Amino acid sequence: MGRVDTIIGELGRIAEDPVGYVAGWKERHGRKAIGVLPMNFPVELVHAAGALPVVVQESRVPITLGRSLIFEYYCGYTRSLVDQAVTSQLDMLDGMFIVDHCVALLGAMDAIRYALPDMPVYLAQFTASMDEPWSPPQVRDEIALLQARLAALCGVTITDQALRRSIALFNHDRALLRRVYELRRTGRIALRAAEMQVLVQSAMVMDIEDHAAAMTELVEVIDIERRPAADGVRLHFSGHFCHAPQPELLDLIESCGATVVDDDLYTGYRYISTDVPDLADPLDGLTTWYFDRNNNVPCSTRAQKTVDWESYLVAAVAADRSEGVVTLMPKFCEPHMLYFPELRKALLDRGIPHLLLETEHEGLALETVRVRVEAFVETIKRRAAVAPELA
Amino acid sequence: MTSHVMGIDFGSTTAKAVIIDLDGEIVAARVSHMGAVSDQAVKEAVADVLAAAGLSQSDMKRTVSTGYGRRMLDIADKNFTEITCHARGAIAMVPEARLVIDIGGQDSKAIAVDASGLVVQFAMNDRCAAGTGKFLEVLARAMEISLDAMGDTAMQATRELKISSMCATFAETEVISLRAEGNSKPDVLGAVHAAIANRTLGLVSRVGKVGPVVMTGGVARNRAAVHHIERALGLPIILPADPQVAGALGAALIGLDDYRAEQARQVAAPEDEDFARQMVLGGACAPACKGDPVMARMVAGSSMTAGRRALLAE
Repeated sequence: MGRVDTIIGELGRIAEDPVGYVAGWKERHGRKAIGVLPMNFPVELVHAAGALPVVVQESRVPITLGRSLIFEYYCGYTRSLVDQAVTSQLDMLDGMFIVDHCVALLGAMDAIRYALPDMPVYLAQFTASMDEPWSPPQVRDEIALLQARLAALCGVTITDQALRRSIALFNHDRALLRRVYELRRTGRIALRAAEMQVLVQSAMVMDIEDHAAAMTELVEVIDIERRPAADGVRLHFSGHFCHAPQPELLDLIESCGATVVDDDLYTGYRYISTDVPDLADPLDGLTTWYFDRNNNVPCSTRAQKTVDWESYLVAAVAADRSEGVVTLMPKFCEPHMLYFPELRKALLDRGIPHLLLETEHEGLALETVRVRVEAFVETIKRRAAVAPELA
Repeated sequence: MTSHVMGIDFGSTTAKAVIIDLDGEIVAARVSHMGAVSDQAVKEAVADVLAAAGLSQSDMKRTVSTGYGRRMLDIADKNFTEITCHARGAIAMVPEARLVIDIGGQDSKAIAVDASGLVVQFAMNDRCAAGTGKFLEVLARAMEISLDAMGDTAMQATRELKISSMCATFAETEVISLRAEGNSKPDVLGAVHAAIANRTLGLVSRVGKVGPVVMTGGVARNRAAVHHIERALGLPIILPADPQVAGALGAALIGLDDYRAEQARQVAAPEDEDFARQMVLGGACAPACKGDPVMARMVAGSSMTAGRRALLAE
């Protein structure tokens, strides 16, 4: 087993058991762990407060007791969050922060407050209107408020120096992850979609310095150990705003003659796309990051005239030379469902082959998924074969 | 001497096998019924179709499999999904079709095909077997009627009742309740078939409703299902002579495409531009049977050698 397999294995074990990792980290360091929810919370603030930021993940266990507090027609991620709260899986967190981007998450947070009345829970609302002149000052004020709340919760003063250091660390880690993305996108390495997800997911829960150290070593060896394998049909994954698609699903898709070369998943490129600029005032930097990130990978929950998700997706597909797009849409994900017609229309108008897979917490009938993905791959191959004649 | 091609559709409740000659004409076709995916049933279907054709497995130049059990067949040279195969087979049966509706034992599909017979878009049931043959089986048991008699009985309906098309198990409960309320078997069965049609319409809406429409799969033999789907679509449905074997026929034709592409590679000059295209076509197994407009254009317009042209024209 090479170093790449070993590193990905270690990071994978952390990604699979964030609860265990956080408990161990707290025991080693004697500091707090703060849960944050997707997608807009600047984790650097938590790190600068000396605490471990933990982007709370969907649990793989069936949802049971949580059903008493949240309806079935909420997405799997929100139902899992509530279930984790009710079944004591979130007890290791010393507080939870959210910058809302979805009304379902707000509902989940209400349920979590009910289930964990002693858990400090803080909600910030960054404006979703990205073009207004008053938007940046509003966001900055909210970030300052979060800074104050975190400082109070952790019993520290969050200095500009500490914040700049945290920003530099997270920027460095994101750059390493983007390097791996670039190597995969350009076909210089072979890396399964599930493995790429492990790299990003582990960054969401680990001590960032430890993660960056692992990534540094990985980047040094990956294009030696992971030469590209025979190419499958090149696919771009799109969707999943909050939580990770099940790795079994990702592996199954790639087993159908496909190679995933890029994505805009939250546990993927969306999380790492944008660095915090190094400005004199780090709160200005975090503010700018919020707006820059939507410029780079637009989110359907933000309202902005100058960018849109469908244009980004079409451009990304062209840039990474994908032959088709697989949309991974969690069932009941309203931000995605309501926006999907725009995405679909843009892909259809440009003749980009597209397959929609609706995912669920409870899992999928994988054989029917296999049939659909294989048929999608066959369709792409056959149409490409006769494309010169049809042109 | 090998002289034929076989397609096998290893479905969820039936196994179908078709043997075609090198002109793409059906020599023999067989359907074997089984309770579940069964290696034995497939072997029977293969043995039956070979016996009907007076051939043996060694006579096959290609054997291509499809269906849920497609990867289980050692004798298959290649396998393709039933979506690709049903599109290929249905268009061979009804060349003018642009929409294929296939309702089988446990799945139902709507497949939009273009003028070349290639799949444009498709939609399948993805969570349960509501609206499929299994749906009918469950309700036939609840209604104490044979599957074969369901369609004819449903056509005698005089009232329109409503049954949910969302779940086979809950539909069974509804059927029992409707009968307990005194509704006649024909009326209840009419509602069952209308529910299937609604489900099918939902699939069609995802790929686009465009005619002509051809229906394949076992449920195409149920005239009430066809009637109600026609009503729901507002379009007539073309029924091939043997709709149940469309997938196996498509698999066989894809095998024939592959064989012809291999023959073309053997006689073409490497620098021939059309040879390069044939290599890709062979690898992708695009439609290449006699009469296919895409292949016809290629043959007519290419700079192939006379020998290769003659071979493709066989």
